[in-house]
Amino acid sequence: MSGDIELVGVFSTDDECARAIEKLHHASIRGFHTFSPFPSEKIAEAIDEVREWGRSPVRKFVLAGGITGAIVALVMTVGTSWEWNLNTGGRPIASITPYVVIIFEMMILFGVLGAVNSFFIMSGLPSFEPASGYRTRFGADRFGLVVRAAESDSAKIEALMREAGAEEVVREAV
Amino acid sequence: MAAAVDQSNYELTYLDVDRTAQRVMAPPGLKYWLWVGFCAFLVVVGGSFWTRQIYEGLGVTGYGQPTLWAVYITDFVFWVGIAHSGTLISAVLFLFRTRWRTAVYRCAETMTVFAVLTAGLFPIVHLGRPWFFYWLCPYPNERYLQPNFRSPLTWDFFAISTYLTTSALFLAMGLIPDIANQRDISTRWRKKFYTVLACGWQGTDRQWRHFSMAYLLLAGFATPLVLSVHSVVSWDFATMQTPGMHSTIFAPYFVAGAIFSGCGLVLTLIIPMRKMLHIQDLVTIWHLDSLSKVILLTSLVITYSYCTETFMVWYAQDPIEMMTFQQRFFGSQGYLFGGMVLCNCLIPLLLFAPSIRTNTVWLFIISIFVNIGMWLERFVLISGSLSTATIPSQWKFYVPKATEVFITIASFGWFLMNFSLFSKFLPIVSMTELKEGVGWLRKATRNTYPYRKAA
Repeated sequence: MSGDIELVGVFSTDDECARAIEKLHHASIRGFHTFSPFPSEKIAEAIDEVREWGRSPVRKFVLAGGITGAIVALVMTVGTSWEWNLNTGGRPIASITPYVVIIFEMMILFGVLGAVNSFFIMSGLPSFEPASGYRTRFGADRFGLVVRAAESDSAKIEALMREAGAEEVVREAV
Repeated sequence: MAAAVDQSNYELTYLDVDRTAQRVMAPPGLKYWLWVGFCAFLVVVGGSFWTRQIYEGLGVTGYGQPTLWAVYITDFVFWVGIAHSGTLISAVLFLFRTRWRTAVYRCAETMTVFAVLTAGLFPIVHLGRPWFFYWLCPYPNERYLQPNFRSPLTWDFFAISTYLTTSALFLAMGLIPDIANQRDISTRWRKKFYTVLACGWQGTDRQWRHFSMAYLLLAGFATPLVLSVHSVVSWDFATMQTPGMHSTIFAPYFVAGAIFSGCGLVLTLIIPMRKMLHIQDLVTIWHLDSLSKVILLTSLVITYSYCTETFMVWYAQDPIEMMTFQQRFFGSQGYLFGGMVLCNCLIPLLLFAPSIRTNTVWLFIISIFVNIGMWLERFVLISGSLSTATIPSQWKFYVPKATEVFITIASFGWFLMNFSLFSKFLPIVSMTELKEGVGWLRKATRNTYPYRKAA
């Protein structure tokens, strides 16, 4: 792959960027990534058609976190009640109803920690190496589409991006 | 006239959003530092009163039989309540895809975090030996003691610490893309500062995919959490046998009150802020109008709750409860109840008028009354109910002393100091979400000028 180059397409709207992704899809080109200043549904849908990623696996970590939190709280409340008996007027030593509050709060807490940790891990953060093709404008007002391809395909890809509405297409060596 | 025509055709761009946010975060001037210094001074004064209280004991306050809870717990409930509107605006309205939240939610969310931080101090301030507050945590210890998980105070500990963690993480996650934007346009120490905080965010499709899912789920968790936390706070009172507190209506009544008071404080903060920071293009009259409708709705819910609570006491015909309520309405501190009804039920009715909802001066004044009214509500509920408990020979009305007064004032100083520092060094307006909804913002901007003209 030493003859590969990267083409960085700059778009002013997410519509144009999504259109370019669809064109790349029809041309069976899959080696690309995008940059956008906000989470664009149009771009996400276009990418989803190409990659068929489905929904983010973050939700599985959240579910696991929530279940873990609930179990930890249940064990902690019931376990400590049995270990240190506090007999109040013959009421049950481990009274589940008031413990539901603590189980609920711990479920939320562990679920939230699961969401944040899995987001960082799945997104590859923290990482202080800039991704290839990144421009500061992509965090401000422009949308970027970076395609990695063989030198021989570059003219075709550039034409596709310009057709979709790219303001400029820059070639970069890999 | 020509200027008005230009303004009505004006459309915000992505860069306008960035420029405005950048202007807000421009290096602060002397006035700003004087303001922060004044807030810090209030904190120092309150801190010295607290130091005296720790040294001499709770006797320096106005506490005594039968009122052993009063201002500190009022402050605690007040600040927890303030926090709730932030979660409502940032999480609940996010799930409902309410567009007007985008301009104000970061401010409300920041308010949430600092309000919970402030609230969390008060149970500690209330303790005679505050350095033992960690005894509420379940941990293996040489005393072979564990907290009583059946106690509402232990529920409070879990609820408030979960709420603080969730709110702080929700705020921090939403900040990452905006901080990355600031990193790209900043120089010198600010660039280094934002580089570390942005964690290398670049807005790739992979990052946004996981971000969107995590953010959605955090909002999904925060929504039941916000309802549970203030319900748990209300059960601190409702599980007691004290007349005036032992009521099943407390949970929904407290939640509605929390949203009411929180939205009031959002208005109190954002109205001067949009003028001082010149963000009228981002936080428009349309946003304030929408926010004031939420205040009006929650005010009506609260009014209904007051009526239901009173009706249930009359219907049950319990003599002690009847006497407590009679004292609350007509006793020597009845004027506090009158003030609370005036501020929470009557003054917000002005918001039915569109001309008032679109007038920032009126909105600001009403929001101040809402804040005062909600503080009074908690005070009347806590201090009033304890003062006139079941044994009439023990009745004694509580009067606060300088210690409680200055510690309460210091809590406002602490909150405003943190909020002011945040707004200058981190994005107080969400650039990412404003750009996402820029079409809606254009509509809002267009709507603003006729509104402003009418105002």
